[in-house]
Amino acid sequence: MNLSKVLPYRKQTVKSFFSFEFTALNIFMFWLTIGLVTAMFWGIGAYLVEGHHAYGVTRQHAWGLLIAMYVFFVVSSTGLCIMSSLGHVFNIKAFQIIGKRAIIGAIITILTGFAVIAFEIGHPVRMVIYNVLTPGLTSAIWWMGTLYGLYLFFIILEFFFLNNENHKYSKIFGLAGLVVGLAAHSNLGAVFGFLVARPIANGVFFPLYFILSAMVTGSYLLFLIYGWRYKMNFPPEVQKFMVTLAQVLGLLLAILIFFEIWRALTAIYGDMPERGDIARHMISSKNFLIGEVLLGMLIPFVIIVLSRGRAIKLMVYASITGMVGIFWMRYDLVHDTQLAPMLPLKIREYMAAPGLVEYTPTSVEWMIAIGAIGLAFMMYYAADKFFDLDHRIH
Amino acid sequence: MKTEISRRRFLQGTAALTVVSVSAAAAMLIEKKHKSKMDAYGLTKTQWSDRLQEIPTLCEMCVNKCAAIARVEEGVLTKLDPNPLFPKSRNMLCARGNAGIQALDDPDRLKYPLIRVGERGEGKFQRVTWDEAYEHIKEKMVKILDEEKDNRSTVGFCAGEGMAEHTYASFMKEKIGSANFVNHSSICLATTIAGYTLTLGGYGQADLENAEYVIMAGANRAEAIVTPDTMDIFKRSRGRGAKLIVIDPRFTNTAAHADTWLPIEVGTDLAFVLALTYVAITEERYNKRFAKENMSDFEAYKKHIIDHHYTPEWAEKITGIKAAEIYTIARDFMAHAPRSIYYQGRRTAWSQQDYQLRRAQAIFSAMGGGIDKKGGIVFGKKLPLGEHAIVGPSYDNAKERIEKDKAAVVGASGSWIAWRNTIIDGTAPYPIRAFFAYKQNPMLSVPNTNKTRAMLEKMDLIVVIDTMPSDTVMMADVVLPESVYLEREDPVKTFGGSEPSIALRKKVVEAKHDTKPVIEIMRGLGEKLSKPLFEISKKYDETLQEEIADRGEKVVYKEDGYDLADGYRHSQETINHHMVTSVYGEEAWKTLREKGVFYPDMEKYFKQKSVNEYQYYPEHKRHYSVIEGDLVNDEPYHDTCVDTEEIAVLKKDFRTATKKIACALYNLEKKKGIDAMPTWREALYKPTPKGKFKFITGRHAQFTQSGTSNNALLLDLLPDNHLWINKHIAEERGIGLGDEVEVKSSIGAIRIKAYPTEKIAENVLFFAHGFGADSSELTLAHHRGANDNLIIEDNYEKSFGSAAMHETIVEIRRA
Amino acid sequence: MARYGMALDYKNCINCKACESACKEENGILLGADKHRIWVGVREIEGVFPNLSIGSSSFQPSQCQQCDNAPCQEVCPTNATYYDENGVVRVNPDQCILCTYCMQACPYDARYIDDRTVTVDKCNFCSDTRLSEGKTTTACQATCPTKVRTFGDLDDPESAISKLLRDREHYTLKTHLGTKPKLFYLT
Repeated sequence: MNLSKVLPYRKQTVKSFFSFEFTALNIFMFWLTIGLVTAMFWGIGAYLVEGHHAYGVTRQHAWGLLIAMYVFFVVSSTGLCIMSSLGHVFNIKAFQIIGKRAIIGAIITILTGFAVIAFEIGHPVRMVIYNVLTPGLTSAIWWMGTLYGLYLFFIILEFFFLNNENHKYSKIFGLAGLVVGLAAHSNLGAVFGFLVARPIANGVFFPLYFILSAMVTGSYLLFLIYGWRYKMNFPPEVQKFMVTLAQVLGLLLAILIFFEIWRALTAIYGDMPERGDIARHMISSKNFLIGEVLLGMLIPFVIIVLSRGRAIKLMVYASITGMVGIFWMRYDLVHDTQLAPMLPLKIREYMAAPGLVEYTPTSVEWMIAIGAIGLAFMMYYAADKFFDLDHRIH
Repeated sequence: MKTEISRRRFLQGTAALTVVSVSAAAAMLIEKKHKSKMDAYGLTKTQWSDRLQEIPTLCEMCVNKCAAIARVEEGVLTKLDPNPLFPKSRNMLCARGNAGIQALDDPDRLKYPLIRVGERGEGKFQRVTWDEAYEHIKEKMVKILDEEKDNRSTVGFCAGEGMAEHTYASFMKEKIGSANFVNHSSICLATTIAGYTLTLGGYGQADLENAEYVIMAGANRAEAIVTPDTMDIFKRSRGRGAKLIVIDPRFTNTAAHADTWLPIEVGTDLAFVLALTYVAITEERYNKRFAKENMSDFEAYKKHIIDHHYTPEWAEKITGIKAAEIYTIARDFMAHAPRSIYYQGRRTAWSQQDYQLRRAQAIFSAMGGGIDKKGGIVFGKKLPLGEHAIVGPSYDNAKERIEKDKAAVVGASGSWIAWRNTIIDGTAPYPIRAFFAYKQNPMLSVPNTNKTRAMLEKMDLIVVIDTMPSDTVMMADVVLPESVYLEREDPVKTFGGSEPSIALRKKVVEAKHDTKPVIEIMRGLGEKLSKPLFEISKKYDETLQEEIADRGEKVVYKEDGYDLADGYRHSQETINHHMVTSVYGEEAWKTLREKGVFYPDMEKYFKQKSVNEYQYYPEHKRHYSVIEGDLVNDEPYHDTCVDTEEIAVLKKDFRTATKKIACALYNLEKKKGIDAMPTWREALYKPTPKGKFKFITGRHAQFTQSGTSNNALLLDLLPDNHLWINKHIAEERGIGLGDEVEVKSSIGAIRIKAYPTEKIAENVLFFAHGFGADSSELTLAHHRGANDNLIIEDNYEKSFGSAAMHETIVEIRRA
Repeated sequence: MARYGMALDYKNCINCKACESACKEENGILLGADKHRIWVGVREIEGVFPNLSIGSSSFQPSQCQQCDNAPCQEVCPTNATYYDENGVVRVNPDQCILCTYCMQACPYDARYIDDRTVTVDKCNFCSDTRLSEGKTTTACQATCPTKVRTFGDLDDPESAISKLLRDREHYTLKTHLGTKPKLFYLT
């Protein structure tokens, strides 16, 4: 059987696979990717030797940077899936060009997310087995994991049919992927939202916020993907799409800012223990003010508002700061949830009473977490080589 | 077995997936590679194999000797549980008791005899056989005693407290014939024993199970655990039956259970007690009939107190405790009498005035009538044991102790500091040339470590018997490894009190290494030394020469005890069997071996009262009042505050010289110059200069002095000692939690991490004793925390030669 | 079949940590600061020397609360955490994937990672080490010098714990979370 008949792809030789135009940017990206992937494998090596002791996680702060990075990637995936569905599932015209490139992005980011979490979960293989044998149906992690598995399956099929120009099935699986993805993703929010022990995370906020921030993330990524694809020389239909995208992003950011303000106000109001204190600490931290607010929301939002969405080239750059901001949103989400010590008493004589739980990621965690971005780059490069990811005008 | 268990458990967890799972492979690697220093000390999990034995024994992690049941599986000790049958330990085992397994399994243990090959103190030893070790000792001993013309006292020896202490001490004292014995007493409880015994006729036992009002001054029963006191008081504190008044410059865990906690100026407790006495006397709040019938020279004492104006207002200026508090405490104490106790205290080596402090406490307690009385200080009963006689030769040339004139009364267990200082300052009438140590670590336990080292450096022979390579072991010429308590049977012991019993430390597991119990070491040494030392005595001892001429050498050698091993030839088990069966018969012996505890009618009396509590003796069978006396009925009875039965007055024959509670000891004053009645001596009090601190030391509940300093499990609970310093003083000096500071006294300086806290007075510093070992052979203890005896000055009080450990003035600075 | 709980007469506690060491010895817990199934919490005293508030200082022995409605069990994706037939919340290490979600969900910091099985471990009332052998006490209860702990069957009205809870005022930790703890602090 000829694979190219089932799944059309471009044949590559080793030479053609590794050949690219030697522009300064390409060479930079080449070395960056090599560097990041090397870092990731280095970190994985250290993990295989030391286990969780290679990480900065503790009894009181059991979830660290890798969980944040996992969330970062799967939010990216869901975001790309949602944004692409606007075109080929919901037939919004301006978005119809984004199909394939966004779906492959969604596949790549969720695979990267899974790769990261594999080095955080102690027994990933055992997970696959007992997820099926003894499912914990009351567990948000079970639902999230299972639904993400299903989601990955659907979007791969979606990509498969898109690639085959089978728009009927690509639409069906696109819709399925979207629905399951939304379910999975809000369950990821619920992983935190269900934590009755942790008032700062507990409640309805995270499941909703996750969908919203996924869309913001998806938008940033689309800017980056298209900026890269066209090297800032956008064809007219792409230009039109990007202006629309910027305007949608502006709206999403406005809602996000609105969400964040009310979240902070309700958390602080009344100064409920393990909620008011944590929220005040949270919103006065550099991570939040510089990372989340300035880089993640304000810079892109101001550009969009001031240019009415037309500064699309600037928006490509602003999306870099946007993604850095998104990263800090994920990091803070994980860290702030665990800030309040569950046992506020000291248990050894010569120690101070426990204050806010401290956590500093180790170099190994940074290597795996940031290195994983290189893994995503690499997969994207390969996908771009093997598949024609560009849209066709119908 | 230990590694196998953890391996088995580990494999259970991961074996199924190791082949396929990357991270499970990582897990394996963790198991192999990621081991911190502490991780190497794994604990065993109970496996409940078929070959399980439960063997009763007694703990030796501190001095209390609590009863334990050892769970032994396939020859491996996996758990120590409390033995509920023992009245003294009341079905409990503390953290240290539980950590006994680590003492057995400690990889740093002394495993075979050693002879020094390097310089003294360098820590270079060579493994030898027991015979080679004995031979080495013999050669040195023969040379020394020959040169010293059979003055046996040139061999000094020390011992730590323990069930086999007597086995060792009897050998050194009776058989070797040295008068120069020092033990823990003079750095521990000499003053309180002397004070209470001379005053009341006995140290007694505080009946904290029934007392209603307890003053604990300096004693810290929550952290320096004493059984059954610790268990009895804290079940009833905090408004549940007993009022607890804690007097301490530190807010200890005991203070946390107090109704009232009053910080006191260090070294001024005597003024406090005298003021309490003053209130009781002037307000006539004391048990007058008891005082009349049972206290000698009480009128003189009254006059003494009043004439000296020991008023609460006077005491306030000295102690820092408000006069109003003193009035309240004196009144409350007497209102609860006779069920009120001024707690005797144990390690009372505090100040120059300590003996008189204990006297004052005892007299004040007695004024309430609570002596030999339920709820007061009781003497109880001791179950007799058969005898195991040791015949010691009398050596003509053995001289008296070297430090006998350094304090008014120096007892048979000596004054450690005076004795040591006499050796190094050249005032000794004859040299001490050999030094034997058993189960004591004077390098860490006696104030002024450098002087102890200087003393040891003067020796021609140092022999140390111990289980761990302590700092003292590192100074030794010959090291004789003792079996850990779980590997040996010790002399059977009788425990007195209101609920007396006999308990046995039985061997739990076979010795892991080439170690021996003390009795076997004495036997071996005795067999090696007997003949050669006898030859020396023959040469110099005129009485011996005459005896030999009279009765013949063989007879004298045998009958007069020159066979040094003769008292140690039987196994400990055989001796114990004799000591028990000769009094109580075979059945008792069987019970004791099976259950670990025996007392008459145990099977009848012992009952479980609740899931946690047991009855040892029914109420009416307990020995609260044991002293014989006559009921005195010649006066109408007027007191209405307590029921008559409660304080019906017996004229008792206390075990003092006058058969009464001794308010005044004129003989001691006349002959020895010790104040007949407790008197505050300003000259003996050392105030703390401004800006400096008084250093005090003490115990911790998860640490028994240097003996447990290498115990992995205990170090897990208390990794090191920190310096307690008042928070505001620390803030002023920019010292934060964990900052390293230097503490300096006139004799030395140490570095330690700071623990700023509100729980200590501004002019006092504290850290727990026993840390800071220098021995490089102690993997975990080496240079962990600080050694208090590098800074505690070697002062001792002049009545009994007891250390005065709380008189050192220190300065601090950030290191 | 029983419903095991524990009552703590915590005012007896002197912070001697006999319970913690007995637990480690009985259950073979690794040494290390973070590796403990049970602990004694210290509430630091309030006030300024010498005016310290004795009432503010207390020792709180604690461990897994053996909740009837255990958040750790609810969040476990593989049911590695389960209620055994005696209502004891336990972990089956063969099923644990070490996602540590339970450690996030536990309001009492009662769980930790056992480095040997590389799974989450917690207090199980000595179910496998003592109860299974017919002992009626946990290691921590048996060893306690001041007898803080009373372990027993809450469903048996005649049990010592049931009587204690009928007669004495008591509270549970973080009751408002609805976890229904089976560790009761007697006041």
